[in-house]
Amino acid sequence: MRKLALAAAGLLALALGACSNEANDTAANKTDDLLASDWETIATEAGGQEVNMYMWGGNENINRYLDEWVAPRLQKEYDVELQRVPVNDAQDFINQLVDEKSAGKKQGSIDIIWINGENFKAAKDNELLWGDFAGKLPNFNEYIDPDALEVAEDFGEPVEGLEAPWGKAQFVFVHDEKKAAEPPKSMDELAEWVKENPGQFTYPALPDFTGSAFIRHVLYETTGGYEQYQQPAADIEDLEQRLAPMWQYLNEIEPYLWREGETYPESLAKLDQLYASGEVSMTMSYDPALAASEVMKGRFPESTKTFLLEGGTLANTHFLSIPFNSSDKAGALVAINEMLSPEAQTAKLSPENWGDLSALDFEKLSAEQQKAMNEVDFGTATLPLEELEGNRLPELSSDYIEVIEKGWMENVAKD
Amino acid sequence: MLRKIKPYLLLFPAIITIVLLFFGGLFDGFLKSLGYFPAIGETEFSLKAYSSLLQSVAFWDSLIVTIRIAALSAAISAILGAIVAVALFMIQETSKSRALNFWNRLFQLPLTIPHLVGGYVIVLLFMQSGFLSKILAAIGVIDQIPDFPVLVNDSFGWGIILAYAWKEAPFVALMVYPVLARIHKQWRDVSRVYGAKNRDYIREIVVPAILPAWTVAAFIVFVFTFSAFEVPFLLGVTYPSMLPVYSYQLYSSGTLADRPEALAVNLVLALLTVLLGLIAYYFSKRWNVLKGWE
Repeated sequence: MRKLALAAAGLLALALGACSNEANDTAANKTDDLLASDWETIATEAGGQEVNMYMWGGNENINRYLDEWVAPRLQKEYDVELQRVPVNDAQDFINQLVDEKSAGKKQGSIDIIWINGENFKAAKDNELLWGDFAGKLPNFNEYIDPDALEVAEDFGEPVEGLEAPWGKAQFVFVHDEKKAAEPPKSMDELAEWVKENPGQFTYPALPDFTGSAFIRHVLYETTGGYEQYQQPAADIEDLEQRLAPMWQYLNEIEPYLWREGETYPESLAKLDQLYASGEVSMTMSYDPALAASEVMKGRFPESTKTFLLEGGTLANTHFLSIPFNSSDKAGALVAINEMLSPEAQTAKLSPENWGDLSALDFEKLSAEQQKAMNEVDFGTATLPLEELEGNRLPELSSDYIEVIEKGWMENVAKD
Repeated sequence: MLRKIKPYLLLFPAIITIVLLFFGGLFDGFLKSLGYFPAIGETEFSLKAYSSLLQSVAFWDSLIVTIRIAALSAAISAILGAIVAVALFMIQETSKSRALNFWNRLFQLPLTIPHLVGGYVIVLLFMQSGFLSKILAAIGVIDQIPDFPVLVNDSFGWGIILAYAWKEAPFVALMVYPVLARIHKQWRDVSRVYGAKNRDYIREIVVPAILPAWTVAAFIVFVFTFSAFEVPFLLGVTYPSMLPVYSYQLYSSGTLADRPEALAVNLVLALLTVLLGLIAYYFSKRWNVLKGWE
């Protein structure tokens, strides 16, 4: 009896397996043709598809922009349904894709991913991305300069059309004017400020994205500039010694940090919470307009302002990409193209929606589109675009970031 | 014949799910912890991850913290849970059933709240700039907010213990109360006849009756807090972290090549949990939680 049941189950499994394999193969062939077909065909095929976009979900503004601005337009104009799937960290879906790849899953549930930096590198190295699709997008061809360094490279890694730029971000410090009237202008001044105001500053524990970015500023300023890190990490023989002044700096300020550096906020959300409730006087953000939108929401005090370092702050481009096993690639292409439209980018620029800098080449926009972008109100907490533009530092390539994130645990947190 | 296989058929979906997801995941983790990771081109087996783990100070620090916090959480929630159960039992004797129902529901309330939400509630209430601290500062009990004791993200782990004590005490009470409810009313009268006071009654009858179920409940809490992630992630410190958080830190920072070690932590955790579970099972069998009742 039992044998019979087992045999039946086995047969069933085999049959199911065979079916899904067949379906997989035809679907795979179909999507490979997609890169060769013209935009009309793609747009027609996209109709009725349901696109799952996996992205960091920690910011309500960004979520709302997608759910209430982007998704309804896609639905209306292309009959594409955009489903936002929030994740805590981009690494989560990279992990999922690695697993799906080793399991041979050809029809994945992830259609669009929001990535950059080390996650892009990991995805590219492990061949988790679909292909050279950016050049297929009409809005990419019309409004973006593919040879600009910030579009052609992602944290030093050549993009090769595997992802399309969605926006630009720049690191800013956020402070409460009432508590820190004259914010520090360099890492040295920050150290002094921290010592004079014990318990009023901290940064998110690595591997938090923003905490990691903060430390890269320390690296640039304490070890003599970013230029030396424009080569692969493996080529610098004395890397450990070069990093030493950074660990020294971080350990030196540690006793004066929030909770005497005994612990660090586990996420940027926690640091923002500490700032909002007045426990610390500074926070930070890789999004120059985030503070303004938090003030608008009434979460951050009215006296909130942002500042940059004299030596500049890190800036990067963030991208949208399509995984190798996306089930609805046509829909994904249409959705990404729509998110690169001047209208979508202008809406994204407004702190009410998100406040993310546009990925488009300003010069390529029509006079009318330029005007629309210039008219966006940034609130008092956001620095002028020119000031941000003039103080940008290039990002560090991800092989360094891996070394630094591992080293932080050993050299700073553990002590 | 259909009748004979029906139970198996009904169980089939559940068994498949468990085998595939649970054991499949565990097995996959086990392979990766041995360095077998075809997706990044690693197909050799080795115990490297385990040996480097056992040699790292961070792992042992983390293990000690984990045991300390789990033991304290279990002990405190066990004591609180027992008090709640006995209190409910005493109320049952004196008050009307509606009032009893109310108290019952009240103590069961934390059971319905997810751990993550519970942990966040503790953060908002007990952090130095939290709700409680602001109220105390406003009414002048403390001069300023930093005078409030550090209860959240403290290196001892009081925040985590607090969250678990609050969340798990009702669970212990839920395990113990049914045993108490089986104590016949007459026993109380008989004990009174022999001159036993309330205190004697609790010591001589109530405590021995609940002891087996109570110990098992405490053990379950210990094993659970030992391997749960979200509360220590929210309420713990960066270093040393509890083992599940330590595994997450290893898994999410660094490269794919660091994954075997992160998964080795998980395997060690799973092994310890199984061991503790077996011990708990052994005691529950031996003491036969319901012995003498049937």
